[in-house]
Amino acid sequence: MILRHTRLAGYSFVLPALVLMFVILLVPVLVAAVLSFTDYSLGNSTADWLAWKNYEKIFTRSSYQKMLWASALYVLIVVPVSIALGLAAALAIHSLRFGANLYKTIYFLPVMAALLAMAIVWETALHPTIGIVNRSLEAGCGGWVETFFSWGWISGVDPEGSWYASSCEEGFPLWLGEKRYALATICFIGIWQAFGFNMVLYLAGLTGIPRELIQAAAMDGARSGWQRFRLVTWPMLGPTTVFVVTITAIRSFQVFDTVEALTEGGPSKTTYVMMYAIYEKAVEQNLMGMGSAITIVFLMLVMVMTALQRYMVERRVHYS
Amino acid sequence: MNTGTYSTTGELAKHATLILGALIVILPFYVMVSFSLKSPQEIGTHAGGFFGSQQAFLDQYCVKLGNPEADCWRNPAAYNYGNAFKKAPLLRYLLNGVIVTVSIFVIQVLIALPCAYALAKLRFWGRELVFGLVLFCLLIPVHAIALPLYIMLANVGLTNTYAALVIPWTISVFGIFLMRQFFKTVPDDLIDAARMDGMSEFGIVWKVMLPCAIPALMAFAIFSVVAHWNDYFWPRVVLTGSRDLYTPPLGLREFQGGLDGADTGPLMATATVIVIPLLVAFLLAQRKFIEGITLSGMK
Repeated sequence: MILRHTRLAGYSFVLPALVLMFVILLVPVLVAAVLSFTDYSLGNSTADWLAWKNYEKIFTRSSYQKMLWASALYVLIVVPVSIALGLAAALAIHSLRFGANLYKTIYFLPVMAALLAMAIVWETALHPTIGIVNRSLEAGCGGWVETFFSWGWISGVDPEGSWYASSCEEGFPLWLGEKRYALATICFIGIWQAFGFNMVLYLAGLTGIPRELIQAAAMDGARSGWQRFRLVTWPMLGPTTVFVVTITAIRSFQVFDTVEALTEGGPSKTTYVMMYAIYEKAVEQNLMGMGSAITIVFLMLVMVMTALQRYMVERRVHYS
Repeated sequence: MNTGTYSTTGELAKHATLILGALIVILPFYVMVSFSLKSPQEIGTHAGGFFGSQQAFLDQYCVKLGNPEADCWRNPAAYNYGNAFKKAPLLRYLLNGVIVTVSIFVIQVLIALPCAYALAKLRFWGRELVFGLVLFCLLIPVHAIALPLYIMLANVGLTNTYAALVIPWTISVFGIFLMRQFFKTVPDDLIDAARMDGMSEFGIVWKVMLPCAIPALMAFAIFSVVAHWNDYFWPRVVLTGSRDLYTPPLGLREFQGGLDGADTGPLMATATVIVIPLLVAFLLAQRKFIEGITLSGMK
C-alpha cells in the first residue's frame, strides 16, 4: 500500500521537472538542429531546405572562419592564463602567515560583479583621454619608468625600438579600437574576471592535501619547493585542475558581454566570437537558420568539452 | 629542507606580488566609484584624487535649457547619482532585477525539490532513467540554446514579457542534481517516522526535507541570484522592445549606448548602483558566497 502510494508520489514529483527538461532543454536542441538546415527567419511561415549549406558557409566563408578563430584564440589565451594566475595566487596565499583572507576577498570581487558593468568601467579606464591606464603610462614617459621598461639596461636590447619608448613617441594604443590589441584587451578583461574563481577552487584543493604527504616528500629528498610541487602538490591537484580547465573553457567559450558592449565583434572581426555571431546573425539580422547552425556547432564543442572532463574525472577516481 | 618554517624574504616577496595583483584587480572598482563622485571637469582633467573636490560645478546642459546660471550649480556626487536615477528609470530596472531573480529562484526550488526528493528517496520504475536524463541535461548550457528558445518564445508571442525572462531558467538540472545528492545523506528513518505520523509525501517534501536542506538551499540561492542578477545575454536576446522590462545590466548598456561625453559620471554612478548590492552582500557573508558561487565545483 505504502509502496504504491510512494510510487505515485514519485511520478507526480518528477513529472513537472521532466516536462520542463524536455520543453526547455531538449526540444530547443532539436529545433536548432532542424532549423540549421533551413533559411528560416521570424515572421516567415515557410522556409527553404538548404541541407548542409549553412554549415558549409561556417567552415568556408572567411567571416565565419574569423569567428571560429576568434573564439578559439580567446579560449586558448584565457584558459591557461587565468588558471596559471589562479594557481599561483592560491599557492602564494595558502603559504602566507597573515593576510590570506584579505587577498582572497579582493581577488574574488570581480567574480561577483556584473561583467557587463565592469566591461563598461574597463572601457572608461582604457579610454584614450579620460582613461587612467593610458594616462598613467604617459606619466611614466621620460622618467625612470620609461628607462626601465624600455629594457635598455639589458645588454643587447635597443631601448629606442621597445614598445614603451615608441609608444611614448607615437602615443599609447586605443586598446579596444586597434586590430592588434582588441582581442588581447577582451582576453585581459576575461582573465581579470575569471582567475579569482579558479583561485578559490585551487585553495579548496590545497587544503585537501595532507601536510604529512609534503613532509614525507621532503624527507625522501624532494629538497626544493619546486620539486615538492611537481611531485606532490600538482598531482594531488589533478582532479581540481581537470574541473577548473573545463569550467573555464566552457565559460570563456560563452563570452559575450564584453564583446557586445565594447567592440561589437570588431575591429575587422578580430573579436567576432561565436556567441556574438549567434546574436548578430539571428537576433539582429533575423537569419535564424544561420544562427541555428552556429548554435549547433557551438553546442557540439561544449558537449565534447564536458564529456571529456567527465571521462577524465572518472578515470582518476578509479585508480586513486 | 624544513618545510615547517617560513623565510621572511619569501613572505615579503609574496606580499609584494599579491599586493600588485590586488591593485590591478581593484583598479576598475576604484575608477568606477571615483568617477561616480566627480564633476565632468575633474574626470576630464584627472583632478581631485579619489573623492574629487566636491566643489559645485556649473551644469552646462542646465544653462543651455535657458535657466539662470545661479540655479545651475550642482554638487558632483549628487548630480551623478541624481542623473543615474533621473535620466533612465534605474529604480524600475532594479525592481525588475529583483522580480526576475526572485521568481527564478522560487520556481527553481518548487520544481527541483520534489524531483530531487523523488530521485533520492522514492522507488519507482524509470527513476534511473530520469536521473540519467538529468545528467545528460547538465551538458546543455542554457545560453548555448538561447536562440531556439527565443524562436519558440517568439512563436507563442511571449517575447518582451517577464515570463520570457524567467521561463528558460525555471528548470535547474544542476539544482536537482545538487539537492538529490544532499537528500541522499538524509536518514531514511526520518522519512519513515514522518510517514508513520500520517504525513503525505507532499508534506514530507516541504515540512521535513525543506528544513533539512536550508544550508544547501542557501548556497544554491546565492549561486542562482548572482548568476541571474548579473546575466546580460538572455535579457539582451529576448527583450527587443520596451525598456519597462529591462534588467539592471541591460539598463546600464542602454545608458552607455546613448552617451555623450559629459555623462561619464552618471554612467559610473549607475554601474556602482548595480554592482554594489552584491559586493556588499559578499563582503558581509564571504564564506557563504564563495561556497555558493563555487558550488558547481563540488560536483
